[in-house]
Amino acid sequence: MSGVISLLSQLGAFGNFVASFVRASLTHPPPVERTFEEAYRIGVQSLPILLIVSVFVGTNLAVQGHNAFEQLGGQSMVGTFVALAGIREMAPIMVASMVAAKAGTEMASQIAVMRIQEQIDALEVMAINPLWFLVTPRLLGILLVLPGLTMISVASLLFAAWVVAMAQLGLNGTEFLVQCAEITRGVDLLFGAVKAFVFAIIICLVSCFFGYTSPKGPAGVGKATNSAVVVSAVVCAILNYLMSEMLYG
Amino acid sequence: MLQRLSTLGRFGAFSGQVLWRSVTPYWELDSTATHLWALWWRCLLPVLATTTPLGMVMALQGLQIFDLYGAQRLLSPLVSVATFRELSPVLASVLVAAQGGSSFAAELGAMKISEELDATEVMAIDPLRVHVVPRFLAVLIACPMLNLAGSLGGIFGGFVSAVVLKGETAGIYWANLWLMTRTSDLFGGFVKTFVFGAIIGLVACWFGTQAKGGAPGVGRAVNDTVVYACTTFIVVNYFLTSALFGAIG
Repeated sequence: MSGVISLLSQLGAFGNFVASFVRASLTHPPPVERTFEEAYRIGVQSLPILLIVSVFVGTNLAVQGHNAFEQLGGQSMVGTFVALAGIREMAPIMVASMVAAKAGTEMASQIAVMRIQEQIDALEVMAINPLWFLVTPRLLGILLVLPGLTMISVASLLFAAWVVAMAQLGLNGTEFLVQCAEITRGVDLLFGAVKAFVFAIIICLVSCFFGYTSPKGPAGVGKATNSAVVVSAVVCAILNYLMSEMLYG
Repeated sequence: MLQRLSTLGRFGAFSGQVLWRSVTPYWELDSTATHLWALWWRCLLPVLATTTPLGMVMALQGLQIFDLYGAQRLLSPLVSVATFRELSPVLASVLVAAQGGSSFAAELGAMKISEELDATEVMAIDPLRVHVVPRFLAVLIACPMLNLAGSLGGIFGGFVSAVVLKGETAGIYWANLWLMTRTSDLFGGFVKTFVFGAIIGLVACWFGTQAKGGAPGVGRAVNDTVVYACTTFIVVNYFLTSALFGAIG
């Protein structure tokens, strides 16, 4: 029971946080320079792990697709399967969870450290709105890069699957590409970008919220970082279903 | 470059020490059980809350392919094979890394910062045995258990999406569920999560015990744990998939 109450009060605190964040962002001039700094940092930091993960998810999709369809006598459907699963679902949700793990946890721990070292109070004393100064550039930055990262991930995933289909599974490479092109529509890529936008907002706001309300001490920073990544991953997974239902259902 | 190699070497030595201590007596059984219990309850809800929506997404997208061929009865075999082989092992492990691994890193990091680990050593008690090994063993055991829970969540999610929301026949879903799933798929998932659990445990305890520099150090340890653990086991996953299921077919 007390768990439910504390959950509800957290939700309420999050609502308050978002409301005052929106008000702060709308009443202040946009921090253009810091936005590009954040976008650069988030993009460059997340790119290497994203490439590694996308390549290996792509290879895995090809191997599993081959196994699954072999029993139905449809080895030739690997391209269809990889393109459909990869572009529509795997790439957006994977990018979201890796960016939550890399950039989201970093946002949470940076802001939490600022909170416990009273730097956020110092900002307020200097009459700088901390939400506008800390959260707005991070949100705009992640919104700028996440759709791009998703497209890079789609490309590397398909490339890796194509290489595995030819080299490991011995399929016809041209046929694979033709199947990919047949099943994929332009709007699928657009929907992927839409999903990425929504995930970006969730990851940034959730991570910044947990950092901003961090408990005291080093253990508090650890706890804030921990909650940030778990809550953003779970919320992204649930929203992913709702968006798939709306966009493709 | 040289520094990275030496870090890798020290991580190797650390892993060796932890593994050796986990197979030789004595074991801190009470402590292990406490960690295991805490880990199980902390991770169960996040694991279910991500595998269930992904099972629903898979049924949603799978129905679209199978509708093309009029083979809706193949949906539940696809859901169960994909869940047991890939979805649940990988997702459950990502969530265990995000929730359990990062909280272990935060706890150990806070202990390291406040010199509790050094104090243990001064008292002639091996900190690896009392603090690290119980956590390592707890992750090792909890990961396969949570995988099983996640698999059931995924299959239930597929059922909700296909039968409750899309109006497929419930009997067809349940009757065909085990059409293509074999015991080897279940064991494959167990082997995978066992390996992933070992990776999470070692990486989390390594970054936790290496934390330095106050609260920011703890935040960084948590961040690094999630990123390195997830990246490593997604790469390892491909090789395990090829080894376990590539041979079986």
